[in-house]
Amino acid sequence: MARHPLVGYLVWALLFGALFAWEGLSLARVGSLPTLSDVFRVIMRYPVGRWALFALWLWAGWHFFVRGWHFLLRA
Amino acid sequence: MLTSSLIRQALVPMLAGYLLIMATLGFGLRRLRRSTADSQHERSLTVGPPEGPGSAAGSRRGWLALARHVAGTTVGGYLLLMAVVLIYYYGVARVGGDFIKSAFTGTAMLIVIALPLWGTASWLTERHRERDNDTTAGERRAHNLKVPGPKPLPAVA
Repeated sequence: MARHPLVGYLVWALLFGALFAWEGLSLARVGSLPTLSDVFRVIMRYPVGRWALFALWLWAGWHFFVRGWHFLLRA
Repeated sequence: MLTSSLIRQALVPMLAGYLLIMATLGFGLRRLRRSTADSQHERSLTVGPPEGPGSAAGSRRGWLALARHVAGTTVGGYLLLMAVVLIYYYGVARVGGDFIKSAFTGTAMLIVIALPLWGTASWLTERHRERDNDTTAGERRAHNLKVPGPKPLPAVA
């Protein structure tokens, strides 16, 4: 079970690395990659896209700041 | 060695998140490429005015439309997340620690905290922008008053 967090961290690091690499390449105008802002702007044109993004934001806030916290936010 | 619970509770959600992000990026890329063909569409993608109260220029109707837009997004996003949470809980893993209750109340609390802060920040930003616009317009008017106009032609006898 000790390997469980390490694997999780590695996968998350890979995911965020890929995301930052994507953004870096698109900002450097390598090829025709859209920046994240472009992508979000397109997604936010549609109600379902806005709901999904808001749900994602809500989940991140809940996961990082509410769940498991015993200081201030949870009794 | 990966246990089945680890695969179900960690790997599957992570893989799903990864696929979701990649699908989103792919969707954006496809849309962007399609839009490039249409130059007018392209212009709206890159240099179009941002959504928000700025387009309404502080009018009451603009703020009402924005409030409706935000309320729709908030309710839709909240319900969508709750649906995902319920599906995850009953379909993937029975997570302990008042998972469902925490999801419903914790996210609602985040909304209650974040929305007023966001609304206040938006209002202050808009007010600041309007004040800047007024100052610029006043300076321009003052500058135009100082510039002498063309001299009248002398009357011919």
